[in-house]
Amino acid sequence: MSHSRSTRRRLAVSLLIVATLAVGCVVRLVDLQVVRADALTEAADKQQRLSVTTYGTRGDIVDADGTVLAGSVQRWNITASPKIALDKDQTFDRKAKDGTTTKVTAQEAVAEVADITGGSADTMYATLTKAVAANPNSDFAYLAKAVPLATLKKVQKLGIPWVYSEQDTSARNYPNGAIAGNLVGYVGTDQPLAGLELTQNSCLAGTNGEQSFERSPQGVRIPGSTVQTKAAVDGGTLKLTIDSDLQWYVQQVLAEQAAVYGAQWATASVVRVKDGHIMAAADWPSVDPNDVTATPASSRGSRFFSVPYEPGSIMKPATVASLLDAGVITKDQKVDVPSRYDKGFPKGAFIKDVFPHPEMHWTVAGVIENSSNIGISVLSENLSVVKRTAYLKKFGFGTKTAVGFQAESSGIMHNPIGIDPISDKAQQFGQAISVTAAQLAGMYQTLGNGGVQMPLTLVEGCTHADGTVTGAPDTTPKRVVSAAAAHDTLEMMETVATTSNISPIVSIPGYRIAAKTGTAQVATSSGTYGSDRVVSVAGITTVDNPEYAVVVTLGNPDKIKTSMAAAPAFAAIMKQVIKTYRVPPSTTPVPNIPLTW
Amino acid sequence: MSTNLALARPLRRPAPETTEAPRHLEVAASRAQRRARPKVVYALIVVAGIGVILFAQLLLSIALADGAYRISSLQTQQRDYTRQQESLQERLDVLGSTQNLTTRAEDLGMVKSGYPVFLDAGTGAVTGTSSDSGGSLVGASGNLVGNSLLKGDGVDDQAVQDAQEQNAAQTPTTEEDGGIATTTGGSDTGATTTGTTATGTTGGSSGGGTGANVPSAPGVIPSPTTH
Repeated sequence: MSHSRSTRRRLAVSLLIVATLAVGCVVRLVDLQVVRADALTEAADKQQRLSVTTYGTRGDIVDADGTVLAGSVQRWNITASPKIALDKDQTFDRKAKDGTTTKVTAQEAVAEVADITGGSADTMYATLTKAVAANPNSDFAYLAKAVPLATLKKVQKLGIPWVYSEQDTSARNYPNGAIAGNLVGYVGTDQPLAGLELTQNSCLAGTNGEQSFERSPQGVRIPGSTVQTKAAVDGGTLKLTIDSDLQWYVQQVLAEQAAVYGAQWATASVVRVKDGHIMAAADWPSVDPNDVTATPASSRGSRFFSVPYEPGSIMKPATVASLLDAGVITKDQKVDVPSRYDKGFPKGAFIKDVFPHPEMHWTVAGVIENSSNIGISVLSENLSVVKRTAYLKKFGFGTKTAVGFQAESSGIMHNPIGIDPISDKAQQFGQAISVTAAQLAGMYQTLGNGGVQMPLTLVEGCTHADGTVTGAPDTTPKRVVSAAAAHDTLEMMETVATTSNISPIVSIPGYRIAAKTGTAQVATSSGTYGSDRVVSVAGITTVDNPEYAVVVTLGNPDKIKTSMAAAPAFAAIMKQVIKTYRVPPSTTPVPNIPLTW
Repeated sequence: MSTNLALARPLRRPAPETTEAPRHLEVAASRAQRRARPKVVYALIVVAGIGVILFAQLLLSIALADGAYRISSLQTQQRDYTRQQESLQERLDVLGSTQNLTTRAEDLGMVKSGYPVFLDAGTGAVTGTSSDSGGSLVGASGNLVGNSLLKGDGVDDQAVQDAQEQNAAQTPTTEEDGGIATTTGGSDTGATTTGTTATGTTGGSSGGGTGANVPSAPGVIPSPTTH
């Protein structure tokens, strides 16, 4: 049966329509792909997808209570796209609130920005022109760096389409200033330079991410076109054992006392004996990380950890505890202390005490209370130098502490094999041996903890952005001397706090304090001992329940060259420790320990 | 023989006229067949339905796009608030530094405390030697632990006064049973008001909230109010 005409007609008409559409599509396709390809590609380039880095913020450094010692703050860099700014006629339209449109030139816009940020409009305009001259497609130039939020908001309100902002990554802020400044360290423009900021950078540094978005030819970011290709990860929070309020007080006391006695440097520490946590470790002069250049470079690190010195008599308790532990002396031992000591020394060499005396009958406690170098030398004859040196090494001298601070020093110790006869004895009273204040803090922590040394700890841990905690401190105890030896040594040291010449300054009613003084000679560059002294007082509270060990050192004081110079600082810090940590008073009476026989 | 009989001749068919197309014969559909025919209405309904669906889709995508813009705008708002909060937190951290707190506390007249005295709750024994509180935590040369972020900063007296005036304007004055009359402005009631507040609360009448205590002396931080 043949199709009727009208059917054919309708068929033909519909085929014609379809064909027209198809041809139209092909024509358009050819037009876009072939004829106008170049123009369109160029337009697309302008509308390209822009890739930006998103930054992970650097982690905070906080003290034991969470007080921020170092924090990251938001700062922004004002950037511009030179090729858009200086495109064509260098103007853009600004619509005012009343609807009027004004044409603003690039130079006027830059002047407005400069007005807000306080920069120079000419410099900014020059930056733009230079960028375009070097690379006509230049998309990025800095107009201002590290501006705070208020400035950023004002610049954004200007509504200049080719001005953007990016986060400045190196904005670090130390709200507590110089408190623990020498420990916290500081950062430079790109990377950390000193202290915990440097050594703990793997904990603190954030990881950058990446983001891309599309942008209109005018430079406006198209909403909804942002694609996060890689997420940024914030840095972790570093928690210290430091108590920032106590640290402030210790630094304040050091600064005052160093000025009073004309010292060149000073250190002080407060350590909790049961776990070796450092509550305060102060250096003077201290550095404010917000204003590093105000302090000379030699004071920007932590002398407490990194500068060894001959400590002097303050080391004697370690010697006595070692001898007691070795069983070669007893705590009631009677000692004949001559007026000078030269046994086995070359002719003319001798050891003397800080005050001249005839032959004295002192007990071991008397040797400590009078801080007799001769007495210590006599007692040291009972143990070989190899064994005595081994004890000193067990106390931690000659090795870095567990803190591992930046540029920490291990100090200097003689090799006991082949040691000269003078150093053989001198090292037992803190000369001919070089130690850091940190090592001394560890020694007193050991004596206070019943002879068990805990690793000295400054960092409690690093809490990462996802909540995991790493870097927990080592808690392995190390038995150095017996508990009895340590306790007996503390009781002997108590006589210093109760009867010696510093006792009016350091004694605290109701509290049994163990103390020891030190007045160390300082070697000059020519190798002999000069007139400078390093004076120190160390102590533990309380003798019947030791909790905190305090060591205070003043270097090269002018006004007084004995340990009396360090005594007021020690007393003030010890009192503050008692108040801060609510140390309960002693419940047992002070024993009567004879000093002479 | 001729006849005059008419002859009946068959009539010749007339020559065919214009060739006429054979008449299109349609079969008239019966009622049953007519009913079985597909109705136009249904087609119209289907097309209309498609139209409605497409229209609904259009509305949905409009709403989605609108929502996306709203989300974007809210996210920007959130980011701005977060930034503002961080900026304020930064300032707060600096003002909360130990150097600033110590200086401001001593400006307010606070002094160094004495030794702690301990009360054993079990036995009731008191241990420890109390000592008088007094004196400054810092010596004559003041705070020596620097903080360059605190340069010239600290409690802004004018801001404190403005805040006090604003607080007074907002909080209604109330009279408590203890007779602590609160006044806004007026004469210098600073010291006395603080004193009466202290006795009021230690007197045990910790019931309702105390009204705003606004000492009018500038530079004096108002005593805390309880609610």
